[in-house]
Amino acid sequence: MSKKQTNDNADRYKGDAGNFQSLESDEGPGPMKSIEGWILIVKGIHEEAQEDDVFDAFSKYGPIKNLHLNLDRRTGFVKGYALVEFNEYAHASDAINGINKSEGICGKKVQVDWAFKKPPKKGALKQVKKQ
Amino acid sequence: MQNNQNDEFYLRYYVGHKGVYGHEFLEFEFRSDGRLRYANNSNYKQDVLIRKECFVSESVISEFKRIIEESEIIKENDSKWPAPDKIGRQELEIKLGNAHISFTTSKLGSIHDVQSSQDPDGLRVFFYLIQDLKCFVFSLIGLHFRIKPVN
Repeated sequence: MSKKQTNDNADRYKGDAGNFQSLESDEGPGPMKSIEGWILIVKGIHEEAQEDDVFDAFSKYGPIKNLHLNLDRRTGFVKGYALVEFNEYAHASDAINGINKSEGICGKKVQVDWAFKKPPKKGALKQVKKQ
Repeated sequence: MQNNQNDEFYLRYYVGHKGVYGHEFLEFEFRSDGRLRYANNSNYKQDVLIRKECFVSESVISEFKRIIEESEIIKENDSKWPAPDKIGRQELEIKLGNAHISFTTSKLGSIHDVQSSQDPDGLRVFFYLIQDLKCFVFSLIGLHFRIKPVN
């Protein structure tokens, strides 16, 4: 699996194989900044929660730039996760700590974490994990 | 390959067709290490190929696993599903723990295409799971890169 990485790309995509654009970053570990802010994933959200509930819980920590509370396409209830974006790293980080410790949203505890991470160190991608 | 610390996880979805405007397709792929690749191509009005790549956290991967597990897509099989045709094809490949599925079918325009098929229950699971996965991926890509993914 290790050296086959480029072959993998050529098989999957003809032509301009392996040319995927990404945001610039140094290598991991750690959370990754998105194009204009820091995005968090919130999990375990109550089925009947509304955007306002998520907004109210998170805006305590700073101004929210974006919020996606996606619905289950079949039931119309929330799917159970949300993505929340803050401009500032400190606000996002405070929200993770604060909300994970709190009662959550609509009385149900939720789990908050960074949504994106830096690319793992180049070496780590190719080699099998240490024995 | 991943060691036994994480369940193996792989997810790939493709929908597309070849027509007047070239090979129009949408595809995304997740790996256990969090790498997400997204590609969207259309030659309509000289649109170009969009290819984006990023790494999502373990929390995001585990949420995709949860959504897939709850859908119970692993129990289905595509033997009675409509074959890909001129209108298009869809491919869904998932590795989740010990389970591995690889489904191929035609495009599904609406729930009506599902109801009128030979396996409406199975195809319905597929139909809704795809929508939920696309919705999640579009949010991730759209927010991270500030682009509006095309359906």
